Amino acid sequence: MIQKKKKILFVEDDKFLRKVYKEKFERAGFEFLEAITGQEGIHKALIEKPDLILLDLMLPGKNGFEVLIDLKSNPKTKKIPVIILSNLGQESDRKKGLSLGALDYLVKPEISLSEVVNKVKEYFLKLEK
Amino acid sequence: MKKKKKVFFEATSIAAHQLKNPISIIKNYLEVLSSEEIGKLNEKQKEYLSDIAEILEKMRRIVEYLLEISRIEEGKYKLKKEKFSLEDLTENVIKDFKIWAQATNTEIFFKREKNLPKVFSDPIRIRHVIENFISNAIKYKKPEKKGKIIISIKKRGKFLLFSCKDNGIGIPKKDFKKVFTKFYRSEKATQLDPQGTGLGLFIDKATIEESGGKIGFKKNRGSGMTFYFTLPCSK
Repeated sequence: MIQKKKKILFVEDDKFLRKVYKEKFERAGFEFLEAITGQEGIHKALIEKPDLILLDLMLPGKNGFEVLIDLKSNPKTKKIPVIILSNLGQESDRKKGLSLGALDYLVKPEISLSEVVNKVKEYFLKLEK
Repeated sequence: MKKKKKVFFEATSIAAHQLKNPISIIKNYLEVLSSEEIGKLNEKQKEYLSDIAEILEKMRRIVEYLLEISRIEEGKYKLKKEKFSLEDLTENVIKDFKIWAQATNTEIFFKREKNLPKVFSDPIRIRHVIENFISNAIKYKKPEKKGKIIISIKKRGKFLLFSCKDNGIGIPKKDFKKVFTKFYRSEKATQLDPQGTGLGLFIDKATIEESGGKIGFKKNRGSGMTFYFTLPCSK
Protein backbone atom coordinates (compact mmCIF):
# COMPACT_ATOMS: atom_id res chain seq x y z
CA MET A 1 0.00 0.00 0.00
CA ILE A 2 1.35 3.42 -0.93
CA GLN A 3 1.35 5.70 2.09
CA LYS A 4 0.51 9.34 1.61
CA LYS A 5 3.41 11.66 2.25
CA LYS A 6 3.12 13.61 5.49
CA LYS A 7 2.75 17.31 4.88
CA ILE A 8 4.96 19.68 6.86
CA LEU A 9 4.42 23.44 6.92
CA PHE A 10 7.51 25.46 7.81
CA VAL A 11 6.78 29.02 8.93
CA GLU A 12 10.13 30.78 8.76
CA ASP A 13 11.21 34.12 7.35
CA ASP A 14 14.82 33.15 6.61
CA LYS A 15 15.12 31.95 3.01
CA PHE A 16 18.35 30.02 3.60
CA LEU A 17 16.89 28.09 6.48
CA ARG A 18 13.76 27.30 4.44
CA LYS A 19 15.93 26.06 1.59
CA VAL A 20 18.06 23.70 3.66
CA TYR A 21 15.07 22.39 5.64
CA LYS A 22 13.19 21.73 2.41
CA GLU A 23 16.14 19.75 1.07
CA LYS A 24 16.41 17.65 4.21
CA PHE A 25 12.71 17.04 4.76
CA GLU A 26 11.99 16.19 1.14
CA ARG A 27 14.87 13.72 1.14
CA ALA A 28 13.38 12.20 4.29
CA GLY A 29 10.12 11.59 2.38
CA PHE A 30 7.96 14.50 3.50
CA GLU A 31 5.95 16.98 1.49
CA PHE A 32 7.32 20.36 2.47
CA LEU A 33 5.37 23.62 2.38
CA GLU A 34 6.71 27.02 3.28
CA ALA A 35 5.35 30.28 4.66
CA ILE A 36 7.38 33.43 5.18
CA THR A 37 5.17 35.39 7.57
CA GLY A 38 2.91 34.43 10.42
CA GLN A 39 -0.14 35.55 8.48
CA GLU A 40 0.83 33.40 5.51
CA GLY A 41 1.43 30.49 7.89
CA ILE A 42 -2.08 30.75 9.31
CA HIS A 43 -3.53 31.02 5.80
CA LYS A 44 -1.64 27.96 4.53
CA ALA A 45 -2.57 26.00 7.64
CA LEU A 46 -6.25 26.60 6.84
CA ILE A 47 -5.97 25.83 3.12
CA GLU A 48 -3.39 23.04 3.05
CA LYS A 49 -4.21 21.28 6.33
CA PRO A 50 -0.64 20.19 7.04
CA ASP A 51 0.06 17.20 9.30
CA LEU A 52 2.51 19.23 11.34
CA ILE A 53 3.74 22.83 11.55
CA LEU A 54 7.29 23.91 12.32
CA LEU A 55 7.00 27.44 13.62
CA ASP A 56 9.65 30.11 14.09
CA LEU A 57 8.99 32.77 16.73
CA MET A 58 10.64 35.91 15.44
CA LEU A 59 8.57 36.52 12.33
CA PRO A 60 7.72 39.74 10.53
CA GLY A 61 4.26 41.03 11.47
CA LYS A 62 2.55 38.49 13.67
CA ASN A 63 5.14 36.76 15.84
CA GLY A 64 5.20 33.00 16.40
CA PHE A 65 3.40 33.14 19.75
CA GLU A 66 0.54 35.12 18.18
CA VAL A 67 0.41 32.67 15.30
CA LEU A 68 0.21 29.78 17.76
CA ILE A 69 -2.64 31.45 19.68
CA ASP A 70 -4.54 31.96 16.41
CA LEU A 71 -3.98 28.37 15.28
CA LYS A 72 -5.03 26.90 18.60
CA SER A 73 -8.15 29.05 18.89
CA ASN A 74 -9.47 28.15 15.44
CA PRO A 75 -11.42 24.85 15.38
CA LYS A 76 -10.12 24.20 11.85
CA THR A 77 -6.45 24.34 12.85
CA LYS A 78 -6.35 23.67 16.58
CA LYS A 79 -5.60 19.96 16.16
CA ILE A 80 -2.57 20.49 13.91
CA PRO A 81 0.53 19.76 16.01
CA VAL A 82 2.97 22.67 16.17
CA ILE A 83 6.67 22.40 16.97
CA ILE A 84 8.33 25.70 17.79
CA LEU A 85 11.78 26.09 16.28
CA SER A 86 13.42 29.22 17.54
CA ASN A 87 16.67 30.93 18.44
CA LEU A 88 15.11 32.08 21.72
CA GLY A 89 16.47 29.67 24.29
CA GLN A 90 15.20 31.29 27.49
CA GLU A 91 13.22 29.04 29.82
CA SER A 92 10.40 31.62 29.95
CA ASP A 93 9.97 31.43 26.13
CA ARG A 94 9.97 27.64 26.23
CA LYS A 95 7.34 27.60 28.99
CA LYS A 96 5.21 30.13 27.15
CA GLY A 97 5.34 28.13 23.90
CA LEU A 98 4.38 24.86 25.58
CA SER A 99 1.64 26.47 27.65
CA LEU A 100 0.12 27.87 24.44
CA GLY A 101 -0.19 24.35 23.10
CA ALA A 102 3.03 23.65 21.19
CA LEU A 103 3.93 19.97 20.94
CA ASP A 104 7.61 20.69 21.47
CA TYR A 105 10.02 23.62 21.72
CA LEU A 106 13.34 23.25 19.91
CA VAL A 107 16.19 25.76 20.10
CA LYS A 108 17.88 26.08 16.70
CA PRO A 109 21.50 26.47 17.81
CA GLU A 110 21.14 23.50 20.16
CA ILE A 111 19.72 21.00 17.69
CA SER A 112 20.95 19.62 14.38
CA LEU A 113 18.81 19.42 11.29
CA SER A 114 18.82 15.60 11.42
CA GLU A 115 17.59 15.74 15.00
CA VAL A 116 14.67 17.95 13.95
CA VAL A 117 13.77 15.49 11.17
CA ASN A 118 14.04 12.59 13.63
CA LYS A 119 11.79 14.35 16.14
CA VAL A 120 9.16 14.81 13.45
CA LYS A 121 9.50 11.17 12.32
CA GLU A 122 9.23 9.96 15.93
CA TYR A 123 6.07 11.97 16.37
CA PHE A 124 4.38 10.33 13.37
CA LEU A 125 5.59 6.88 14.42
CA LYS A 126 4.01 7.38 17.84
CA LEU A 127 0.76 8.40 16.19
CA GLU A 128 0.68 5.21 14.13
CA LYS A 129 1.10 2.96 17.18
CA MET B 1 30.14 56.90 31.00
CA LYS B 2 27.84 54.42 32.71
CA LYS B 3 25.15 55.11 30.13
CA LYS B 4 27.65 54.61 27.29
CA LYS B 5 28.71 51.29 28.77
CA LYS B 6 25.08 50.18 29.08
CA VAL B 7 24.36 51.08 25.47
CA PHE B 8 27.51 49.24 24.37
CA PHE B 9 26.55 46.02 26.14
CA GLU B 10 22.97 46.22 24.95
CA ALA B 11 24.27 46.59 21.40
CA THR B 12 26.67 43.67 21.95
CA SER B 13 23.81 41.54 23.19
CA ILE B 14 21.66 42.41 20.16
CA ALA B 15 24.55 41.73 17.76
CA ALA B 16 25.25 38.39 19.42
CA HIS B 17 21.57 37.39 19.20
CA GLN B 18 21.55 38.39 15.53
CA LEU B 19 24.61 36.24 14.85
CA LYS B 20 23.02 33.14 16.34
CA ASN B 21 20.70 32.68 13.39
CA PRO B 22 23.26 32.75 10.54
CA ILE B 23 25.56 30.49 12.54
CA SER B 24 22.89 27.87 12.99
CA ILE B 25 21.96 28.13 9.30
CA ILE B 26 25.56 27.56 8.18
CA LYS B 27 25.67 24.61 10.59
CA ASN B 28 22.63 23.15 8.86
CA TYR B 29 24.17 23.58 5.41
CA LEU B 30 27.37 21.94 6.61
CA GLU B 31 25.37 19.06 8.02
CA VAL B 32 23.64 18.43 4.69
CA LEU B 33 26.91 18.68 2.73
CA SER B 34 28.89 16.51 5.15
CA SER B 35 26.23 13.79 5.19
CA GLU B 36 26.89 13.38 1.43
CA GLU B 37 23.14 13.15 0.84
CA ILE B 38 23.39 15.53 -2.08
CA GLY B 39 26.65 14.25 -3.51
CA LYS B 40 29.87 12.42 -2.70
CA LEU B 41 32.79 14.42 -1.34
CA ASN B 42 36.47 13.82 -1.87
CA GLU B 43 38.86 13.69 1.10
CA LYS B 44 40.02 17.28 0.66
CA GLN B 45 36.46 18.56 0.56
CA LYS B 46 35.64 16.56 3.70
CA GLU B 47 38.68 18.03 5.44
CA TYR B 48 37.73 21.61 4.50
CA LEU B 49 34.15 21.11 5.65
CA SER B 50 35.42 19.76 8.94
CA ASP B 51 37.66 22.85 9.28
CA ILE B 52 34.69 25.12 8.62
CA ALA B 53 32.68 23.22 11.24
CA GLU B 54 35.46 23.76 13.77
CA ILE B 55 35.69 27.48 13.02
CA LEU B 56 31.93 27.79 13.19
CA GLU B 57 31.92 26.10 16.58
CA LYS B 58 34.39 28.71 17.78
CA MET B 59 32.11 31.47 16.46
CA ARG B 60 29.18 29.89 18.26
CA ARG B 61 31.15 29.80 21.50
CA ILE B 62 32.19 33.44 21.13
CA VAL B 63 28.59 34.47 20.58
CA GLU B 64 27.49 32.53 23.66
CA TYR B 65 30.29 34.13 25.67
CA LEU B 66 29.38 37.62 24.43
CA LEU B 67 25.82 37.07 25.54
CA GLU B 68 27.04 35.91 28.95
CA ILE B 69 29.37 38.90 29.22
CA SER B 70 26.59 41.33 28.32
CA ARG B 71 24.43 39.75 31.02
CA ILE B 72 27.28 40.03 33.54
CA GLU B 73 28.00 43.68 32.67
CA GLU B 74 24.34 44.62 32.72
CA GLY B 75 23.87 42.94 36.10
CA LYS B 76 21.49 40.41 34.58
CA TYR B 77 23.65 37.32 35.11
CA LYS B 78 21.42 35.04 37.14
CA LEU B 79 22.03 31.51 38.32
CA LYS B 80 19.48 28.75 38.83
CA LYS B 81 20.63 27.63 42.23
CA GLU B 82 19.89 24.24 43.72
CA LYS B 83 21.45 21.63 46.01
CA PHE B 84 23.81 19.25 44.23
CA SER B 85 26.85 17.06 44.77
CA LEU B 86 30.00 18.78 43.54
CA GLU B 87 31.75 15.43 43.86
CA ASP B 88 29.35 13.63 41.47
CA LEU B 89 29.40 16.52 39.02
CA THR B 90 33.20 16.53 38.99
CA GLU B 91 33.32 12.78 38.48
CA ASN B 92 31.04 13.13 35.45
CA VAL B 93 33.11 15.91 33.93
CA ILE B 94 36.33 13.92 34.39
CA LYS B 95 34.69 10.95 32.64
CA ASP B 96 33.84 13.19 29.68
CA PHE B 97 37.45 14.36 29.44
CA LYS B 98 38.96 10.86 29.57
CA ILE B 99 39.38 10.34 25.81
CA TRP B 100 40.82 13.79 25.17
CA ALA B 101 43.18 13.42 28.14
CA GLN B 102 44.42 10.05 26.88
CA ALA B 103 44.90 11.40 23.38
CA THR B 104 47.08 14.20 24.72
CA ASN B 105 49.11 12.02 27.08
CA THR B 106 47.57 13.51 30.19
CA GLU B 107 46.47 11.76 33.34
CA ILE B 108 43.72 13.10 35.58
CA PHE B 109 43.60 12.19 39.28
CA PHE B 110 40.66 12.90 41.53
CA LYS B 111 41.13 13.24 45.31
CA ARG B 112 38.28 14.07 47.64
CA GLU B 113 37.55 13.98 51.33
CA LYS B 114 34.96 11.52 52.60
CA ASN B 115 31.35 12.53 53.38
CA LEU B 116 31.42 15.82 51.54
CA PRO B 117 28.21 17.84 51.89
CA LYS B 118 26.26 19.12 48.90
CA VAL B 119 26.75 22.65 47.63
CA PHE B 120 24.24 25.33 46.65
CA SER B 121 24.72 26.86 43.21
CA ASP B 122 23.83 26.37 39.53
CA PRO B 123 25.07 22.89 38.49
CA ILE B 124 25.11 23.70 34.76
CA ARG B 125 27.23 26.83 35.22
CA ILE B 126 29.51 25.13 37.74
CA ARG B 127 29.97 22.31 35.24
CA HIS B 128 31.19 24.93 32.74
CA VAL B 129 33.70 26.25 35.30
CA ILE B 130 35.08 22.76 35.99
CA GLU B 131 35.20 21.97 32.26
CA ASN B 132 37.05 25.21 31.63
CA PHE B 133 39.62 24.51 34.37
CA ILE B 134 40.29 20.98 33.10
CA SER B 135 40.36 21.89 29.42
CA ASN B 136 42.80 24.73 30.15
CA ALA B 137 45.00 22.30 32.08
CA ILE B 138 45.00 19.90 29.12
CA LYS B 139 45.46 22.53 26.41
CA TYR B 140 48.31 24.29 28.15
CA LYS B 141 50.41 21.29 29.09
CA LYS B 142 54.10 21.24 28.26
CA PRO B 143 54.16 19.63 24.83
CA GLU B 144 57.19 17.45 25.56
CA LYS B 145 56.05 16.27 29.02
CA LYS B 146 53.34 13.90 30.27
CA GLY B 147 50.46 15.95 31.59
CA LYS B 148 49.33 15.45 35.19
CA ILE B 149 46.17 17.03 36.55
CA ILE B 150 45.13 16.63 40.16
CA ILE B 151 41.56 17.58 40.98
CA SER B 152 40.67 17.79 44.64
CA ILE B 153 37.66 18.70 46.75
CA LYS B 154 38.01 19.52 50.45
CA LYS B 155 35.72 20.96 53.08
CA ARG B 156 36.80 24.33 54.42
CA GLY B 157 34.40 25.63 57.07
CA LYS B 158 31.03 26.29 55.46
CA PHE B 159 32.51 25.95 51.98
CA LEU B 160 33.86 23.27 49.66
CA LEU B 161 37.20 24.05 48.07
CA PHE B 162 37.66 22.72 44.54
CA SER B 163 41.12 22.83 43.01
CA CYS B 164 42.69 21.82 39.73
CA LYS B 165 46.47 21.47 39.79
CA ASP B 166 48.47 20.93 36.60
CA ASN B 167 52.10 20.63 35.55
CA GLY B 168 51.66 22.74 32.42
CA ILE B 169 53.29 25.83 30.97
CA GLY B 170 51.91 28.11 33.69
CA ILE B 171 51.14 31.82 33.49
CA PRO B 172 53.85 34.50 33.54
CA LYS B 173 53.86 36.54 36.75
CA LYS B 174 53.47 39.80 34.82
CA ASP B 175 50.04 38.59 33.61
CA PHE B 176 48.62 37.60 36.99
CA LYS B 177 46.43 40.69 37.25
CA LYS B 178 44.87 40.05 33.85
CA VAL B 179 43.93 36.38 34.25
CA PHE B 180 40.26 36.96 35.06
CA THR B 181 39.80 39.87 32.68
CA LYS B 182 38.02 39.66 29.33
CA PHE B 183 40.02 38.45 26.34
CA TYR B 184 43.17 37.73 28.35
CA ARG B 185 45.46 35.19 26.69
CA SER B 186 49.13 34.68 27.47
CA GLU B 187 51.50 34.55 24.49
CA LYS B 188 52.17 30.84 25.01
CA ALA B 189 48.47 30.10 25.34
CA THR B 190 47.81 31.76 22.01
CA GLN B 191 50.50 29.62 20.39
CA LEU B 192 49.24 26.35 21.91
CA ASP B 193 45.55 26.99 21.30
CA PRO B 194 44.86 29.63 18.65
CA GLN B 195 41.13 28.84 18.87
CA GLY B 196 40.79 30.01 22.50
CA THR B 197 38.66 33.07 23.21
CA GLY B 198 40.09 34.37 26.48
CA LEU B 199 36.59 34.72 27.88
CA GLY B 200 36.12 31.52 29.89
CA LEU B 201 37.80 32.57 33.12
CA PHE B 202 36.04 35.95 33.14
CA ILE B 203 32.69 34.15 33.04
CA ASP B 204 33.87 31.55 35.58
CA LYS B 205 34.66 34.38 38.02
CA ALA B 206 31.16 35.81 37.63
CA THR B 207 29.62 32.36 38.16
CA ILE B 208 31.57 31.66 41.34
CA GLU B 209 31.06 35.13 42.80
CA GLU B 210 27.34 35.03 42.01
CA SER B 211 27.29 31.72 43.93
CA GLY B 212 28.81 33.39 46.99
CA GLY B 213 32.21 31.74 46.56
CA LYS B 214 35.71 32.82 45.66
CA ILE B 215 37.89 31.98 42.68
CA GLY B 216 41.66 32.23 42.37
CA PHE B 217 44.89 30.64 41.29
CA LYS B 218 48.47 30.16 42.42
CA LYS B 219 51.70 29.20 40.74
CA ASN B 220 52.92 25.74 41.72
CA ARG B 221 56.39 25.23 43.18
CA GLY B 222 57.55 23.00 40.37
CA SER B 223 55.66 23.83 37.24
CA GLY B 224 52.12 24.69 36.25
CA MET B 225 49.25 26.38 38.01
CA THR B 226 46.52 25.54 40.51
CA PHE B 227 43.14 27.10 39.85
CA TYR B 228 40.58 26.89 42.62
CA PHE B 229 37.14 28.03 43.71
CA THR B 230 34.98 27.73 46.77
CA LEU B 231 31.23 27.18 46.93
CA PRO B 232 28.94 27.46 49.94
CA CYS B 233 27.66 24.17 51.33
CA SER B 234 23.90 23.79 51.25
CA LYS B 235 22.07 24.16 54.55
